[in-house]
Amino acid sequence: MPAAISRAEFVDLLRDEIGLAVAAEDLGRTLDEVPGWDSLHLLTMLVLLEKRVSRPLSLPDFLDAASLETIYELVNR
Amino acid sequence: MGDIPVRLLSVGTALPGPPIDTAALASAFGMDQVWRQWVDTFIGTRTRHLAVDLSTGERRESLADLGERAATQALARAGVSAEDVDVVVFGTATPDTLMPATVNVVADRLRIDGVPTFQLQSGCSGAVQTFDVAASLLSTGRYRTALVIGGDVIAKHYDVKADLTALPPDELVNYVLFGDGAGAAVLAVGDHPEAPMLRSVLTRLSGLGRAPGQTLRWYGLADRDGGEAPASEDYKAIEEHVPVLAEETADDLLDDLGWDRAEVGYLLPPQLSVTMTAKITERLAFPAAEEVSCVAETGNNGNALLFFQLDRLLPVMARPSRAIAVAIESSKWIRSGLALERV
Repeated sequence: MPAAISRAEFVDLLRDEIGLAVAAEDLGRTLDEVPGWDSLHLLTMLVLLEKRVSRPLSLPDFLDAASLETIYELVNR
Repeated sequence: MGDIPVRLLSVGTALPGPPIDTAALASAFGMDQVWRQWVDTFIGTRTRHLAVDLSTGERRESLADLGERAATQALARAGVSAEDVDVVVFGTATPDTLMPATVNVVADRLRIDGVPTFQLQSGCSGAVQTFDVAASLLSTGRYRTALVIGGDVIAKHYDVKADLTALPPDELVNYVLFGDGAGAAVLAVGDHPEAPMLRSVLTRLSGLGRAPGQTLRWYGLADRDGGEAPASEDYKAIEEHVPVLAEETADDLLDDLGWDRAEVGYLLPPQLSVTMTAKITERLAFPAAEEVSCVAETGNNGNALLFFQLDRLLPVMARPSRAIAVAIESSKWIRSGLALERV
């Protein structure tokens, strides 16, 4: 099954729509290491991702995510 | 405080409309489950009251309407008539008009005239600032009874047609944190032994070299299309600085009074949001104090918050007992607090 959103699209969304200065190689970093990351970015990101993948997401699924990579995998699960 | 003891005779409050829970707020803005879950998890506010009708955008009540209601209730509870009021002090960040000042519109409705009136351009420390100004005036002996009022109405910043998914975080946060409301209190000198005594009031500008944490702009015909966000918040700076300033304020009050932390029976902590208030309360670490908070039900209604906390405190405040209130304004950073004692 193809991914609901590709890695490149995910990085574009983080960078262009949320304003996070990240590149593909940053996805594996812990969220603490993402410059400027906070809970509002999580909300903004999930709202945008819902539109992109056309399915509802649930915040509790993402609260324990340690990295952007984990979030990416959860969205594509 | 001065030699003439100032006492808190009564408090009144007013909220517009029914409580709006997060599900209703989400529904009004077309937001879904994940948004509600985020508010529940990271803000914690359960309900708020808004002077704007979410379905139509129509303004239901003005700040003067709410201020009048709160003041009327406070005066009635104190058994004080409008003619007895010697001075009025109003704190708000959101006056109905820049002129006339809302304090004078409310005074007129209450049939108060011929006395000094002051309006403070203030935020979350505004209620304490009204107490500071009023208590200072009462302490001179020139006045006996002061009416202090605080409130905010954010209707003008609440665009019910806004696409919240398109808002940057520093603007989005305003839609979930805030609510509208007003409060009032009657302060007096004289023979009122049953009323709590205002033991200390502290307000300190603490913004030297520090960028504003909260910005609220106003526009005229020439600059209304300038493109600057009318309301924005540096919520990260607020998360960082408010707990520190709150702790300094509580410590200063205790030092000033020579009170031990364990002697304080009630703590009225800053009311930013349920989650922030919980963190600050834990940090302030008053071992025997009962927390008196309102933000879960009222939302953050700025200049009104302390009045809602005092409204909850007064009916339960034991004799004897001591209470400490702390409020922090994050615009240009003002820390403030007061201490009450019932003997």
